[in-house]
Amino acid sequence: MLPIDIENLSKTYSVKRGRKVLALDNLTLQVDQGEILGFLGPNGSGKSTTIKTLVGQIRATQGKASIFGQPVRDSNCRQRVGYLPENPAFYDFLTSHQYLDLVGSTFGMDANHLRTESDRVLDLLDLHHADRRPIRSYSKGMVQRLGLAQALLHDPDLYILDEPMSGLDPLGRALVKQIIVDLKHRGKTVFFSTHVTADVEAVCDRVAVIVSGKLQAVNLVSELLEKGIEGYVIQLSGGSEQLCAGFEMNLREDSLREVFVQRRDLNRFMGDVSRDNGEILLMEPRRRDLEQFFLDIVRREKE
Amino acid sequence: MLFLVPSFSSFSMRQVQELAITLSLSTISMVLLVMTLLLGSSSIWRDIERRHTASILTLPISRDSYLLAKFLSIAIFIVLAGVVLAAAAAVMISLAATQYPSDLPLAWGNIVLAIGADVLKYLLLSAVAVFFSAVSTSFYLPFFATLVVYLAGSASQEVFEYVSGQFAQQIDPAQVAVIKGVYYLLPNFSAFDFKVHAVYALQVSSQAFLFPLCYAIVYGGIVLGAAVWVFNRRELP
Repeated sequence: MLPIDIENLSKTYSVKRGRKVLALDNLTLQVDQGEILGFLGPNGSGKSTTIKTLVGQIRATQGKASIFGQPVRDSNCRQRVGYLPENPAFYDFLTSHQYLDLVGSTFGMDANHLRTESDRVLDLLDLHHADRRPIRSYSKGMVQRLGLAQALLHDPDLYILDEPMSGLDPLGRALVKQIIVDLKHRGKTVFFSTHVTADVEAVCDRVAVIVSGKLQAVNLVSELLEKGIEGYVIQLSGGSEQLCAGFEMNLREDSLREVFVQRRDLNRFMGDVSRDNGEILLMEPRRRDLEQFFLDIVRREKE
Repeated sequence: MLFLVPSFSSFSMRQVQELAITLSLSTISMVLLVMTLLLGSSSIWRDIERRHTASILTLPISRDSYLLAKFLSIAIFIVLAGVVLAAAAAVMISLAATQYPSDLPLAWGNIVLAIGADVLKYLLLSAVAVFFSAVSTSFYLPFFATLVVYLAGSASQEVFEYVSGQFAQQIDPAQVAVIKGVYYLLPNFSAFDFKVHAVYALQVSSQAFLFPLCYAIVYGGIVLGAAVWVFNRRELP
């Protein structure tokens, strides 16, 4: 059974004066066991609507969605889910330990296990120093980390994270990325929404791009990065001047030559360097990054 | 306020005990009304407004159990408050009755019945408040709608009797029908009023509590059922 299975999901909101807004348009998406899928889209593209439908906060107008085979309207389907809402808000008169006790009890965790796991996740998210303070005294980043802690508490099989890096400082972002990668190594499934392409590039196996409520693309991140290679920047020492003829070249201050070689010319260039007794000191791919891919899709949809 | 009951009761030279009971029951009723209005009307709406529902209702908790648990917590609080206030009232009534003994006996059973029925009334009102809180997006609707239901439900029996009597012959029959319809729709809080029995030690049948109890269970059940139905269909932020 798929961790997440969405079929032809549509959602229409009624706004003022009987107007309707189509927030999701026939979305079909599957998330496989053990993968990290980044759900990428600009603001207002339908990411949060999709996630809120998955966790039962709103009802789809059409279509269906299930988690591990159970329809999302059934609250029991969330037994195997750890969910981090966007900009989470918790009962702020509780301490983090008390809040985790509340969360753990809804998952039926026994008291001893709950205590051990609470300590573990609070340590992991670097919140142990503040675990006796009421949540109202926490900074935004600490609340975000507590949100992740409560999602990790019962060691679920599926994580649904809505903008998990939001409000975090660079250290927090790095920590969260590391946690997501660790979850992948443990065979867990992660579905997270973001509008930051670098986050997807850093941790995701696949990326799904949604714009104006429509799913535009679902691709393997590795494939996109590989396809996106336009050419190579090569630092060269030795060899004749003739070697770089026809290529874009910079002469550096240390008299090294930096040549940009198109992907299709690479083999020929490498052969020429070898014959001409040149020495390659550094070779780096120059590629269209995920952001470029994302921007192309958004631009195409707008046109 | 309960502590002032013996002093205020002494203003009545002849009916100190009776006044002490009246004031105690009225004070308890007023305190419970304020509690019900504040707790009931801020219960679910506040969780939605502060987005606590986004973290709580995304756990494996159904909306039905969340709403019923909210009601139950308010109900427990009201019952406990009723018990504490009843204990304090018992002390004050005893004090007033000892100072100026009355010809009438102190009917403790009736006083307990009156307070118990009052608690039931506010449990029913809190179900109404939870219903309005489940459909609302602000504090005002649940608070004022519950207050209006309370006022109308407290007066509906007298209005019904008025329009059912000979005085109503001059009123348009359509208006009478509307008034009677509203009477049956609104909770009838006069069914919970045993103050006179408590004050004047009137005889009450052993089953007197049964009707208000059944009424509160049935009416409250319907209101909570409607609240669950509406809340299950509500879209949350």
